[in-house]
Amino acid sequence: MNTIMEIQNISKQYRDKKIIENATFSICANQIIALVGKNGSGKSTLLKIIAELVDADSGSIVKHRQSLKIGYVPEVTPSHILFTPEEYLYHMGSIRGMAKKQLQQKINNLLELFHLEQARNIRIVNFSKGMKQKVMIMQAMLEDTDLLILDEPLSGLDPKAQSDLEETLSVLKSKGLGIVLTCHETKLLQHLVDTVLVIHNNKIILADSLNNNDFPKNKLMFEISSMKLLDNLLPLLEIQQQSLLNNGCHKVIAVIKTEDTDQVLLDLLQKKASINQLTPINQKEGHFYTHF
Amino acid sequence: MTSLLRYQFINYLRTYKYVPPFSIFVLCLVVNYTFVPNPILDSYSFTAIILFFLMGWFTVTLFHAEDEGQKVITTLHAKSRTQYNLGNFIICVLIGLFLSCLSVTYPTLIGAFGEKPRFIHQLLGFLSHFSLSVLAIALSAIFTRELVKNKQNTWWGVLGILIVSVVIATLKETILQIKGLIWLLPPVRLSLEMMGSEDSIATIPNIFYWRFVWIFVYSSLVVLLFFLLSNRKRR
Repeated sequence: MNTIMEIQNISKQYRDKKIIENATFSICANQIIALVGKNGSGKSTLLKIIAELVDADSGSIVKHRQSLKIGYVPEVTPSHILFTPEEYLYHMGSIRGMAKKQLQQKINNLLELFHLEQARNIRIVNFSKGMKQKVMIMQAMLEDTDLLILDEPLSGLDPKAQSDLEETLSVLKSKGLGIVLTCHETKLLQHLVDTVLVIHNNKIILADSLNNNDFPKNKLMFEISSMKLLDNLLPLLEIQQQSLLNNGCHKVIAVIKTEDTDQVLLDLLQKKASINQLTPINQKEGHFYTHF
Repeated sequence: MTSLLRYQFINYLRTYKYVPPFSIFVLCLVVNYTFVPNPILDSYSFTAIILFFLMGWFTVTLFHAEDEGQKVITTLHAKSRTQYNLGNFIICVLIGLFLSCLSVTYPTLIGAFGEKPRFIHQLLGFLSHFSLSVLAIALSAIFTRELVKNKQNTWWGVLGILIVSVVIATLKETILQIKGLIWLLPPVRLSLEMMGSEDSIATIPNIFYWRFVWIFVYSSLVVLLFFLLSNRKRR
């Protein structure tokens, strides 16, 4: 992994209240890191420290590239921008001190990348929330950004906009960007994020990957004519619930090890059982969401 | 910096938040000079006080022209909170300059005075308008969202400080009893005292220039305080 930034023992407190304590982790190119934690756990503060908007009380941030460019997308999407995307990006780029020609070229590229060419002359105030969020990410990428920081990028977006944005983030990741974000969206965490950092009691207590998908067990729901037919399978089944249906069949909900699943299913089908549902159980995920 | 100024100015124009204070100012000018003839310095003094209050309005609306979220983004692109705020101050001062010039030239052009104003009248008129504008900008900025979180406190704060500044101008004798206090209070009274001179004034006494200098110095100190508080609050 190509590390672009290292966060080393970062601590922050406001007045006497500790917000972050000794946060240490690395950010790599082509990596999406999600910071999760309960409201007020210090996720946004840590993002602002990484974006250099707020100073840490102690600790250091080591950049592994000489001029590491950081783009920041705040939590609150501005709702009242009175410019078209083209004007807006032009102003933001000019304020950054970018050359006019280079800036115009970059704006064209970004409008194309984010599929907003048709809306280039419409004022942002009239955009949907998803489109506004895209413009926010575009402004953060005006210069060739190495690290993109997004505070709750999916909050308030409808499923279509969320899925669009997910796709966009995926494209950006494949282009070599490091991305750090805070989020509550389970879908995003499962499908897109490489590493999840949980902030609990001011500390980063868990650094884990959900993309490993190492589901240890499956949940199986089926109907079978007689419970006696399951005798040979009992060592493999962990029956959680059983009930007698009107048609005389038994409805069973059981947990089975992933490695035994094929064998159990084959056996059940041979015994004319009807499989209703088979779902993987992600124990890590279950444990993980208790942190929200 | 010019890019930042251009953006902030265009953004402010597009918010239309300047319309109410600007309309009120134009109305005041027109109504004040409806009947002629008018005394020169007294009229200038009156419009300078009106401008003093309206500049508070301009300042707050300009400092609050952007969304809170957009302000963070613009500041990030400007790479410095000081630059961002400096941009707002410069635009406020330019508005003050424009309205000060308008206040002095409009009555002259329509012949609203009993006699043709001399250069000395126009210079005094301009300085009184412009100095009070700058003072109002400095005092009002202290109550903008940069330092005050609650919007209600912003408006009551600005209105309060501007009204108190004018009221204490009439309480000079009482204030003088407390040593040093006169130097702490906003020097609106200096402008009012100077503009209370007769229209027949032949030359501007040196003390007048020093008084205007003090109003500008006082305003600069308040702006400095604004930047100190703003940078301290950041972390």
